[in-house]
Amino acid sequence: MKSLLEARNVTRIFGSGLLHKGRTVAVDGVSLIISEDKPSITAIAGESGSGKTTLARLLLGMIQPTSGSILYRGDSLTAMDGRARKKFRREVQAIFQDPYEAYNPVYKVDQTLSTPVRKFRLAHSKEEAHQRIAESLRMAGLRPEETLGRYPHQLSGGQRQRIMVARALLLNPRVILADEPVSMVDASLRATILESLVRLKRELGISLIYITHDLTTAYQASQNIYILYRGSVAEVGSVEKVIKDPKHPYTRLLVSSVPLPDPDIRWGGESAIEARASAPSAPLQEVRGCKFSNRCPYVMAECRQAPPPLYRTDDDRAVACYLHKNSAPVGGREMAESLALA
Amino acid sequence: MVRDRAQDRDACVLDVRDLRVSYHTAAGPVRAVNGVSFFLRPAERLGLVGESGSGKTTTALSLMRLLQESAVIEGGEVLLDGVDLLRLSQEAMRLARFARISLIPQGAMNSLNPMMKVGEQLRDTIRAHRNGGNSRVTFDTRIQEVLQSVDLYAGVMDRYPHELSGGMKQRVCIAMAILLNPKVIIADEPTSALDVVVQRQVMETLRRVQEALGASVILVGHDMGLMAQFVDRIGVMYGGKLVEVGPVRGIFKDPLHPYTQLLIKSLPNLQTKEDFRGIPGLTPSLLAPPPGCMFHPRCPQAMQRCSVDVPALAEVKPDRWVACHLYDRGQA
Repeated sequence: MKSLLEARNVTRIFGSGLLHKGRTVAVDGVSLIISEDKPSITAIAGESGSGKTTLARLLLGMIQPTSGSILYRGDSLTAMDGRARKKFRREVQAIFQDPYEAYNPVYKVDQTLSTPVRKFRLAHSKEEAHQRIAESLRMAGLRPEETLGRYPHQLSGGQRQRIMVARALLLNPRVILADEPVSMVDASLRATILESLVRLKRELGISLIYITHDLTTAYQASQNIYILYRGSVAEVGSVEKVIKDPKHPYTRLLVSSVPLPDPDIRWGGESAIEARASAPSAPLQEVRGCKFSNRCPYVMAECRQAPPPLYRTDDDRAVACYLHKNSAPVGGREMAESLALA
Repeated sequence: MVRDRAQDRDACVLDVRDLRVSYHTAAGPVRAVNGVSFFLRPAERLGLVGESGSGKTTTALSLMRLLQESAVIEGGEVLLDGVDLLRLSQEAMRLARFARISLIPQGAMNSLNPMMKVGEQLRDTIRAHRNGGNSRVTFDTRIQEVLQSVDLYAGVMDRYPHELSGGMKQRVCIAMAILLNPKVIIADEPTSALDVVVQRQVMETLRRVQEALGASVILVGHDMGLMAQFVDRIGVMYGGKLVEVGPVRGIFKDPLHPYTQLLIKSLPNLQTKEDFRGIPGLTPSLLAPPPGCMFHPRCPQAMQRCSVDVPALAEVKPDRWVACHLYDRGQA
């Protein structure tokens, strides 16, 4: 298997300062692989503070890892020459949650779409450029005549988001990294946007990294999922295993908290976990052992000693929790590789 | 048998009749709420759902008379225990807010004053409704009681908002909303900025205090999962109108309006994969609304009269209200 995009044991620490005060380990030894051979959709899920957005920015080369490396087609992003970097910039596209900051408020949104067409020479004439732009807008669920010629502030958050989707489609990328692409979009349109992203995988072979806090859409869209908790992978594997039958106490808490759109399936499950998690949460201090240990109802002495490694409970799933220490430990990279291969 | 509507209305806490609200924009007036009528039973939780631009937030804010300056309430009645809030003087309305009808606003955590300690903000709320006489001590007793009921420790009173987590700030907003025992609490997407675990805890707190208080709640939002878990009845809005109102189970299991049917089908679940069913077409432009039913350009079951006549919201089965020509007498 060749890896297209890979995070190899990546750690990112923010704000060191004297005596390591205010030091935050945003991403802590995460490995992730997107295969070049087979298009896939990989979800990275977690709550705020899980490090999912930092991981996204690392994967895009927007920030550098403190240790470990990000590789595109086998080359480290930091060691790339200009040509390889341009290729990376075209082939790896991003969609963010609220793209308002991606727009220049004094230019019409047309510029957001025409700049990549020009920069990457996607069209040979003005008409062709306009046609490509109009087509990608329609694919994202927008009427070109109601979108073009407007300023960013004249559009709704949902419309601005769909323009960013249209912009990514315009470039025919290999990988789209989508950070909460539908969280600000209405339910009826959410399905339409996710469907168009899934179709990109099926029909154009584009791989997707779907970063979200929403386990339902993660389950629907992706094959594999990485559950992050305070920067570390808590559980990783196929969505069938991780979401349908979660093993890490944190994943179980997350899954049982999802409000399902069905009045017959009540919020339920893990009352012990709820009781503990309802207690005022401890400040985000650094925990020596498992980061979830101060919230976990199953906490044991060893949990407070050292962070647990990943234990491979199934072929297609590993859990970073001592409750599963009877399974064989597995390296993050090895696990990522075997998931990308599957 | 269709239940007598008048009977139902007599028993209700809040009765909204033919509410119409427009925004004045550079491109012309936008009819954001176009003849919305619904009622709220005592101690019930009603969900108001719809896409952005459907008018759900405008409806909610109209009930409190807290609209932006560009908005004009053009007509209708908002009867709270028989008194029309739209006809109260500014001062009478100010006194009614919090005391009889309160709001947990969208992004409520940012609605707290960053320069003021939480306790002082809560005291202000009480002070604004009492003409002296009450000492700080009695205020604080009530405040502590309310903070406890939303699972906050009393020490929160001496904190500034930035010292609290998002979930805690949200609980402060709930505390403020119930401080004066209102009959109706409007919660506008109260947890949209929170993580799922905290969201569930906050919603369960809200449910608990609402039940203890016997207040009615209007939950405004677009998260159908949250609606399924929290409310008793749902009102579905589309293009400034209510298109369907019914018990939560009926809306999810047997939706009547074609829009509601498509909306329910579009929801992701944990049973199927890669099965996305968005609603084809786009939300209507409120500047140039289509004639007839607002949904007819997107409706798979549209008939000729749908593009001509505006369907009225009518009770077609007990407690099931729908605005759709499919259910016109003799057709359903």
